[in-house]
Amino acid sequence: MTEWLSVLFALLVFPGFGFLLACALAFQWIDRRVEARLQGRVGPPWFQPLADLIKLLAKEDVLPVGANEIACAALPMVSLAAVLTAALYIPVGGWVARTFEGDLIVVLFLLSIPALAYFLAGWLSVSVYSVVGGSRSLLQFFSYEVPFLMALSGPAILSGSWSISRIAAQQSQAVWLALVQPLGFLLALVGLIGKLKRSPFDIPKAKSEIVAGPLTEFSGRKLALWHLTMHIQMVVGIFLLVNLFLGGSDVGVTIPGVLIFGIKALFILLMLSVASALYARLRIDQLANIGWRVLAPLALAQMLATIWIGGG
Amino acid sequence: MTKITIPIGPQHPALKEPLSFLLTVEGEQILDSALRIGYVHRGLERICQNRNYVQNVHVVERVCGICSHIHTTTYCQGVEALLGLQVPPRALYLRTLLCELERIHSHLLWLGVLAEYIGFTTIFMYAWRDREIVLDIMEELSGGRVAHAANVIGGVSIDADEAHVASILDRLDVLERQIKLFLDLIRRERSFQARTRGVGHLSAEQIRRYCVVGPAARASGVDVDLRRDAPYAAYKWLNFQVITAEEGDVWARTMVRVLETIESLHMCRQLLTELPAGPLTVRAPRRVPPGEVVSRTEAPRGELIYYIRSDGSDRPARVKIRTPTLTTLITLHDQLAGVHTADVPVVLAGVDLCIACADR
Repeated sequence: MTEWLSVLFALLVFPGFGFLLACALAFQWIDRRVEARLQGRVGPPWFQPLADLIKLLAKEDVLPVGANEIACAALPMVSLAAVLTAALYIPVGGWVARTFEGDLIVVLFLLSIPALAYFLAGWLSVSVYSVVGGSRSLLQFFSYEVPFLMALSGPAILSGSWSISRIAAQQSQAVWLALVQPLGFLLALVGLIGKLKRSPFDIPKAKSEIVAGPLTEFSGRKLALWHLTMHIQMVVGIFLLVNLFLGGSDVGVTIPGVLIFGIKALFILLMLSVASALYARLRIDQLANIGWRVLAPLALAQMLATIWIGGG
Repeated sequence: MTKITIPIGPQHPALKEPLSFLLTVEGEQILDSALRIGYVHRGLERICQNRNYVQNVHVVERVCGICSHIHTTTYCQGVEALLGLQVPPRALYLRTLLCELERIHSHLLWLGVLAEYIGFTTIFMYAWRDREIVLDIMEELSGGRVAHAANVIGGVSIDADEAHVASILDRLDVLERQIKLFLDLIRRERSFQARTRGVGHLSAEQIRRYCVVGPAARASGVDVDLRRDAPYAAYKWLNFQVITAEEGDVWARTMVRVLETIESLHMCRQLLTELPAGPLTVRAPRRVPPGEVVSRTEAPRGELIYYIRSDGSDRPARVKIRTPTLTTLITLHDQLAGVHTADVPVVLAGVDLCIACADR
């Protein structure tokens, strides 16, 4: 009985849906606020992300004639489920719901499901803008995913483990891997921006070009779920980087682990916000060029160096 | 690969004004484009024939929502030529001052729009924030941010005292610092250049063939500027440079426009410090003697032409307006051929369309 309760608690409250929802709303607010301050604006009040979510949930839900209704309803739910599941394996403040050797690979796989669902959503919702956005999102996926995976394999190889919690725990005894592999950390950050489709890599949903990309025809609850997926994905991605590169939660003995974990997560969020304010959106061919000509070779070099040092 | 047709407009996030494009696209490359205009035709030229000359000043002010003052200037200049009026120098200086302030405001607005199209929201916010300085100055001078109603036939209806001039000069310094920041950014920011260099290229031959005017022509190395070539208002008393560039792409157009903004700031300073004393208007008769006139000015987007014919009554027999946007619209087909779909908004922004002007 108590075991069931603890499972339910993990799924629905911490580190499951409730906690992630709260984090997603908070991070979204901080992100919007920081970007607004950088741009000389004031930014929204703290409850704006929640208000946006409630408003979208209450709005009428329409799809164009000819769109595959079942798939369009299922895709946002599948994506949300995937990112929520991924969150279960990521330690937060030293506490993790489930862990096993190799959970990093499972998490990376789960985190790539929304990207594919996003592409399918564009393809199935019969609008030229969504189709163009969908094909762009697929091309973008191939551009950032390879360097991202290679960059994230660096910490795993150095720690000799494919378990996120163990990689994080090892760093707290030694040094942060971001200091050992600054290049890998940067590549992972760039990859994360691509994964989250944040500016300057918001190519698949570039509003001045293709309206809202794959999500052009979505509205109401489905759109709310899509947005929620994206925002929770941001939280999960940031937590993942904190664990892999910034030593997770336990650094100081005096400061509680959750607090230090939160500060590190905010630091990465800040970098994402600044990056989105600093650059113009690239074109998809320019991103593919950068992905394959710059990021991938760098990631490969980093990985080979890591194997050489780690093995020798 | 299959060809698909992407409609851009009449309603589209990249369009601030209604305009319609049908783009034939293969993959991400544009093969063909078909343009439709006329969504904001309001019949202003016909309306002008039903109103008297004084009322028409307010009608032509509504042709454009960005460069309203240059329209009234061109119109009043034409009517004054028909009447043979000598406008007092102080009025010419104030008229020119508003023209140049309007150019700064139009160019900054344009820079913001371009930045938004390429996803550079920060520059969009900065440019529009700093544009407020100019809008505030214009509002203080005339009472209106965009529609100033500053021109009357035979002079201007606005004035500035010495304290006001000093305060405007102070704020122009602040504005210049901000614009230099934009200039620095355009020269150095790589993501900005990646999106604007080589996009929407027009050669000097194409410019001449399509009769393109204004900053778009000057960015392709065609040195035309009516303020120097056929000085009107107070321009013959001013020192300024005509900015040109050679590249002919959107980046060059950005450079030309931002440098022109700085040049306009210098002109505003000259106008304010050398502002002559004297009356603001001369008295104009209600009836205009028969005749016809072509009045030309350099609007922020290029040469603006008014043709006015009088039959001796208090209403014009014909007012024909040719706006600079008309010439750039024609070049869009050439500019869009072969570009990436992602560059469509950049190309559209690059030529600085004013659809309301073109449709009238």
